[in-house]
Amino acid sequence: MSEMVLSKSLEDYLEVIYHIVVVEQAAKAKDIAQKMQVKASSVTGALRQLAERDLVNYSPYDQITLTRKGMEVAQDVVRRHEVLKDFLIKVLSIDESEADSVACQMEHAVTTEIIDRFTKFIEFVERCPRAGDSWIKGFDYYCGEKPQADYCRKCITQTVENFETNLKSGDEMNESTVRLNQVKPGSRVKITTNKLSGVTARRFQEMGLTIGSIVKVERVAPLGDPVEIIVKGYNLSLRKEDLDKIEGILLED
Amino acid sequence: MKMIALAGNPNAGKTTVFNGLTGTRQHVGNYPGVTVEIKKGVIKKTDFALVDLPGIYSLTPYSEEERVARNMLWKENPDLIVNVVDSSNLERNLYLTLQLMEFGIPVVLNLNMQDLALAKGWKIDTKKLSQTMGLPVVETVGHKNKGFDELIKSVKVALGASQRVSQTAHFSDSVNRALDILEKKLSKENASGASRWLALKLLEGDPDIEQEIANAEIKQTARELVNDLEREHNKEIETLLAEQRYKYIEGVFLQCVSSKLSFKKPLSSKIDAIVLNKYAGIPIFLIMMYLVFQLTFTVGEPMMGWVESAFAWLGDLIASFWPEGSESLLKSLLVDGIIGGVGGVLVFLPNILLLFLAISILEDSGYMARAAFIMDRLMNKIGLHGKSFIPMLIGFGCSVPAIMATRTLDNRRDRLVTMLVVPLMSCGARLPIYTLIIPAFFPSKWHAPMLWLIYIIGILLAIISAKLMRVTIFKGETVPFMMELPPYHFPSLKGTLIHMWDRGKLYLQKAGTLILGLSILLWALSTFPMLSKERIEEYDAQRETIVQSELADSLQAIQLSALDNLQAEESVEYSAAGRLGKFIEPVIVPMGFDWRIGTSLVGAFAAKEVFVSTLGVVYSVGDADEESESLRSKLKKNYDPLIAFCIMLFSLISAPCMATIAVTKRESNSWKWAMFQLIGLTLLAYFITVAVYQIGRLAGL
Repeated sequence: MSEMVLSKSLEDYLEVIYHIVVVEQAAKAKDIAQKMQVKASSVTGALRQLAERDLVNYSPYDQITLTRKGMEVAQDVVRRHEVLKDFLIKVLSIDESEADSVACQMEHAVTTEIIDRFTKFIEFVERCPRAGDSWIKGFDYYCGEKPQADYCRKCITQTVENFETNLKSGDEMNESTVRLNQVKPGSRVKITTNKLSGVTARRFQEMGLTIGSIVKVERVAPLGDPVEIIVKGYNLSLRKEDLDKIEGILLED
Repeated sequence: MKMIALAGNPNAGKTTVFNGLTGTRQHVGNYPGVTVEIKKGVIKKTDFALVDLPGIYSLTPYSEEERVARNMLWKENPDLIVNVVDSSNLERNLYLTLQLMEFGIPVVLNLNMQDLALAKGWKIDTKKLSQTMGLPVVETVGHKNKGFDELIKSVKVALGASQRVSQTAHFSDSVNRALDILEKKLSKENASGASRWLALKLLEGDPDIEQEIANAEIKQTARELVNDLEREHNKEIETLLAEQRYKYIEGVFLQCVSSKLSFKKPLSSKIDAIVLNKYAGIPIFLIMMYLVFQLTFTVGEPMMGWVESAFAWLGDLIASFWPEGSESLLKSLLVDGIIGGVGGVLVFLPNILLLFLAISILEDSGYMARAAFIMDRLMNKIGLHGKSFIPMLIGFGCSVPAIMATRTLDNRRDRLVTMLVVPLMSCGARLPIYTLIIPAFFPSKWHAPMLWLIYIIGILLAIISAKLMRVTIFKGETVPFMMELPPYHFPSLKGTLIHMWDRGKLYLQKAGTLILGLSILLWALSTFPMLSKERIEEYDAQRETIVQSELADSLQAIQLSALDNLQAEESVEYSAAGRLGKFIEPVIVPMGFDWRIGTSLVGAFAAKEVFVSTLGVVYSVGDADEESESLRSKLKKNYDPLIAFCIMLFSLISAPCMATIAVTKRESNSWKWAMFQLIGLTLLAYFITVAVYQIGRLAGL
């Protein structure tokens, strides 16, 4: 991330240049001025400042391109903008044009960490069976009028039903089932089947490797076996021969 | 007197809680029939007995520790259980808690290591936890000695209200209905109040409990109920019960723990990123092992010297009570037998204490589990556990501490195999034999390869025998490899020292008494029967003649010492040890050995380093050590390189010393394994040496 602090307007310039460059490969001062709805003379001033910071390649009367660094900074600004816009639309159900202009204001104040949190939160809302699309719609409804307990009950039942059917169709689709001994370190897996038998199977369950639990593969020992995993918040090492018999769904991060 | 059991997962800090609750009033005892020790103590300012159960993950009896713990609860019925729980690992720890609640004796939940939970960003709502689970909950920070008074207080309160109720509310209705049916049937026969727990164990298919229940009808009912449940839920009953327990725990966890996500990586995982790194992991491990070895043997060496000279001084002091040259039996018993024997035990003490210091630090800090993690692949190949590596490495120094180091292995079978093969790692006491023999028989460019060959043979034999035992006598029981990698702790000085001393003391007490007895026996064997009065008088007369003769003093001295040596040789030959040597001569001839080597081998059973000095006596060269050239030339005259090699081979493979056997007896808690080790190693040594000698002769060597 850029360590320099860019003023709000410079970030806006960078964003605009980015959008033009993505389509046209290079930008002209005139186009920038048009998009920003400012006079060509103020564009020149801003471009000079950006060039001083080594963010754009600019000389008068020539085409304008982004430097490598400028590209990175611009992408960061654009990403912040997109995430915020996404949040406003998807979670708060604000309409698109308003979301766009508000995101434009907010993007300059929000740090990357918070943006990451926003991303996670959106992902969470989309994925968690208790939230999802219908939940957001419920929020719309809530903003209109206070819901009845009856409505809530119906909603919960519906959610559970949907969850069950999704689970079943998920099984049929067999989304990328992997054996635990083949998972790369750093990945997380939700356990779906345990083909171990007898004492070993029982032991695995007692240690917290039950069906449905989420396991993170931490590392493989220097000699290639055993494997260290994190389950229920603690670190456990297991041999590959046993992990071979446990299957799960790879979770994306 | 009320009895309170202390239960908890391994690494939950049970030992610190035990010490915190009892203060210093504790003693270590052995539980009948097994190696697992159960510590007993009395809780401070009360008359409650506190029994420390082995660290366990669950009450299902699939390991020795769990069986001991379960039987202790089941048969001795304590009045209360204090369940020590690692707060930073709450979910898995609560699994045992649920099983203890199912058992029905009142449980006090002790949330230990709160500081670690906080560091993880967890805030545990103790009050809510107590309400949700229906247990008194007390927080402690064991290593800071915080919270023990509150814990004792709440134990007292809980004891007042103690009443046995098996709690099974965390299971589903269908499971509970099955339990109801079984409980009703069981309570007709069994009035112990444990009916519901027994019912649960029947559902789980616990083989020990099934044996206990005589009524076939009840067992039949249990089978039917299990069938129904398995069909209803479409999974095996064990899976079903385990899942329901964890599901309940998940709920408890969500309700009672608020976690603040921290962006910081925990320190432990940062350390592990280096220590367990693909490339750096093994070098770091090797350096650590080197340091342990250095600490044990290099730092220990001067201390061993101090102990040796202290005993030599004591021996001289006691000898000085008798006039010069006295042949008093009592003097010989005291100086050669008892002081020599006790000295022989104590001389290892610095080594053992230092080694246990190193091991305690490695264990308490959490590195031991990492070392096992790194070595497991290699050790698994020979059918052992990653943790077996460390005892085997220590075995190159001395088998006694090495066998004691097998305590870090949790599984009895792994532990026994390791214990049995450790003596094959060529220990330090055998080195004098090699250094005496190799220069006498082999050209100098062969010295190093010869020594290397001997060590390699030992390692190979250890690997082969371990593998062999794993596919034969230790085949049946299988316990999966599951090893926790606990977070690193900074070991506390006090804890480490207590840990070290606990183990050192055991070595002194148990092995010490045995070694002392055997030392006296061996002293007697090489002393009795003594030469007849006439023979002694003849020697004395010869001495007299030399002294009276016209020879120069220096010549007289030489002749006198030659005469002393001759007399010593004859005494040994005449003694029981000498006769034993002669008696076994026919047996050892196939290895190329004569009675002199036989006698030395009898002595070497006390300790391998005695071999050289006994050989010196039977070859009448007086006090010989491994650098003795006169002994070497005698050996060269009497034996050839093949016999020399066979001597080394036999010394390598046969049991290193009686201390080893004594410690194996102590650590396996069974004469059976000690004898198996002794006889097994002796037979192995015998057959291999015979084979080598005979094949060598046939090949014309």
